[in-house]
Amino acid sequence: MAEMTSLQRAACNAEFMRELSAIRSAIGGALTKAELRAAVDALDTFLNDNAAAINNAIPQPARGVLTTDQKARLLRAVIGARYLNGV
Amino acid sequence: MASGNSLFAWTATANQPPASAYATPDTRNSHPVLDFDADTDESAIFGGVLPRHYGGGGITVMIAWMASSATTGDVVWNTAVERHDDDTTDLDADSFATANAATATTASGSGEVQYTEIAHTSGAQMDSLAAGESFRLKITRDANHASDTMAGDAELLRVEIRET
Repeated sequence: MAEMTSLQRAACNAEFMRELSAIRSAIGGALTKAELRAAVDALDTFLNDNAAAINNAIPQPARGVLTTDQKARLLRAVIGARYLNGV
Repeated sequence: MASGNSLFAWTATANQPPASAYATPDTRNSHPVLDFDADTDESAIFGGVLPRHYGGGGITVMIAWMASSATTGDVVWNTAVERHDDDTTDLDADSFATANAATATTASGSGEVQYTEIAHTSGAQMDSLAAGESFRLKITRDANHASDTMAGDAELLRVEIRET
């Protein structure tokens, strides 16, 4: 799977800003929209470069049974449980 | 009317939203606000009648706003006037004059109110609006402007018009 397009990355950045705004999660330091977009780009590139490693970290039979969509939701669930308050 | 005297003050609840790309109503600690997106240009519209005591000196629009989450960065605000001229202006279509703009730095703390002012000289910048005439004021966050660097929503709290 390729990296997201520029438009998809922009949409991702916009949606992330809306999420922070909705919960009024204060950004504690100097950070512009462009710098936030750079973070989206870098994480997308990282996930693209390491997609195989992440997939291989999922043990069988889950690796073989779950779809890409379901694995993405699994990854989101684990990241949320580890790092987000209230998840 | 003397220069600097207030002509109008609106809260966020006075918004008459455009048909599309409108700022979203929200509350912040029970204060009604309008959320302006960081990625898409969104607008709010306020209507009124320019007071009879307006002296013709032009107007200054003051926007009281906060950041939803950011503590740094700039917001580009645009304001535009639409005059409803007697037996002339057809309200079936918008006819706002060219907008004036200001680039405003957000307050240092999320939830702190920032005051931004945009002056409109008498004449074309006010769509030739005169005392006693109906009008609308359109406020837009120019989110895709290169100078609009603030991440996250801008929340409009109040709008004041005073004579410049």
